[in-house]
Amino acid sequence: MSAEFSGGPEDSALSELLDRSMPADAEAVATVVDAISETLAQLEVPEQKRFEIALAVQEALANAVVHGCGNDRSKQVRCQLKSDAQGRIVIIVTDPGPGFSPDLQSDPKQGESLYDDHGRGVYLIRQLMDEVQFERSGSEIRMWKY
Amino acid sequence: MGQAVDGLRQAMQEAVGSGDTRIVLNLAEVPMIDSSGIGLLVRFLASTKQLGGNIKLVQPNKFAIQTLRLVGVLNLFEVFDNDDAAVDSFA
Repeated sequence: MSAEFSGGPEDSALSELLDRSMPADAEAVATVVDAISETLAQLEVPEQKRFEIALAVQEALANAVVHGCGNDRSKQVRCQLKSDAQGRIVIIVTDPGPGFSPDLQSDPKQGESLYDDHGRGVYLIRQLMDEVQFERSGSEIRMWKY
Repeated sequence: MGQAVDGLRQAMQEAVGSGDTRIVLNLAEVPMIDSSGIGLLVRFLASTKQLGGNIKLVQPNKFAIQTLRLVGVLNLFEVFDNDDAAVDSFA
């Protein structure tokens, strides 16, 4: 199901459905995820696809809050929901942090990693979404669902 | 993440801290499990098993099942349709 990014439309070809900025706070994550889910429901996106997008957004926002902002509520995380002419959906999550190297993420299904209490977020996003791209040294993630 | 995971962490810590290592966790009202929740579950699964106990899951919805399977931890847990069956499995 997952694949690395092979090139989506330019931003100018995308229609904006939602644009939210939130404080880097765990409780704010749920509010934005709910808003994304409601928007997708209004667009009559099927339940299974809504769930997969919602969980991917939850993971991306959690990473942004914890790693990108260090749980500092004075910092802001931006979440944009857009679609292209073919109805493909992209969610862009941006944080003000220094970014990270997604290629260094280990496989959480291997050996002792199974019992680790962290390290599954990016793996889950890649499994749930169709294309995933990291920009700005990893401080921005673009997640596509077809 | 957030209050839900914090609340579960506190409850599990209290249970394990008081010697209750045989735990039944009813997930019927849990719409979604994220990576922080999964991390918490597997961490406490490991610690309860080390103490001779276990964590049994009851009524996880299809999305929770799918998520646990995606990250390869579903088969670490026994899953039951109701609380009684999960409790009886400890006998």
